[in-house]
Amino acid sequence: MLLRASGQRDNRQYNLSAVNEADTDPGVDHADHLRALTEAAIDSRWEELATIRKAAAVAMGEQAMVDALTVAAGFNGITRVADATGIPLDPPTQETTVAMRAETGIDTFDYAAKSERYAVG
Amino acid sequence: MYDDVRYSLSAEVIERHAEAWRAIGAPGPFWSGGARVRMVAEARAAMTCELCAQRKAALSPFAVEGEHDPADGPTGFDLPPALIDMIHRLRTDPGRYTRTVFDNVLAAGLSREQYIETVGVVNASVIVDTMHASLGLPLPELPTPEAGGPTGQPAPDVVDGGAWVPLTRADDRTATVTGLPGAPNIARSMGCVPAAVALFFTAFRGHYALRDIPLAVSQPQAEFIASRVSALNQCFY
Repeated sequence: MLLRASGQRDNRQYNLSAVNEADTDPGVDHADHLRALTEAAIDSRWEELATIRKAAAVAMGEQAMVDALTVAAGFNGITRVADATGIPLDPPTQETTVAMRAETGIDTFDYAAKSERYAVG
Repeated sequence: MYDDVRYSLSAEVIERHAEAWRAIGAPGPFWSGGARVRMVAEARAAMTCELCAQRKAALSPFAVEGEHDPADGPTGFDLPPALIDMIHRLRTDPGRYTRTVFDNVLAAGLSREQYIETVGVVNASVIVDTMHASLGLPLPELPTPEAGGPTGQPAPDVVDGGAWVPLTRADDRTATVTGLPGAPNIARSMGCVPAAVALFFTAFRGHYALRDIPLAVSQPQAEFIASRVSALNQCFY
């Protein structure tokens, strides 16, 4: 949801559907490499990631490649904090992202809905 | 830590990860250092655990019963089965982690504070291990457990904020320039164990900033990566 805020600050519009759609270009630079790095790191595809790192370093520069993985590693932890505590959205986000959450499918991740969907029974 | 890295990794990340690793080995408010190190060992064992693999492939995360593969780690610090199950689920299937898992931990007689401390330790270790593996490095040796029992803590200032656990009190909920309140819920989520907040954000802080990110990726690039991770881990927040 902060990608949306980033676009507002930069006066640019990013395609938020790209977050959940592999074939959609979000409109950020080197999105294909960022996506490949992130998905391999989060899916623990370490051997494949070695090849992806090399290609990304050539395209984006080595430091950008390393720092992209740095962001991904951090969010691999912090998303689990949210997942393990069932926190609600902050009020400003709740109020301003209704359409965006519906459009991107993020509403399906709601913790109460997930708990009901996967309930033991 | 990161002695053999061939890339230029942020000095802040290296420093904070080392600090977080030392802190995991020290006694926390509700768990000994040995127990905390075993939590990291369990999180690692989950990645090759046969039961976790079967559950991940099942339509429901609760469809498959069984025992988790044992973890290596310091002896004499066995964790309760419900906590081991929680750690394995959180590490391998966060997108289908539900309130049932949290309730099972409490039903086993553990406190929400013990639960939150575990969340902090495990997720700090997830960051450190993901960073190492992402750069092609072997995982660091487990932290060295320090002697001593749980330290306890003063009563924290928490409120019901609609989460599974109480949140740190924050009266001003209006948006700042980032679009989030000054104290967003993610920063308040482990508020019933302030030491868990401190540990987790020690590991996390060098990885991201809400504005003017001090890394070689732009803010929109960082937000795209963050959003993609959130989608992969089915994180609503």
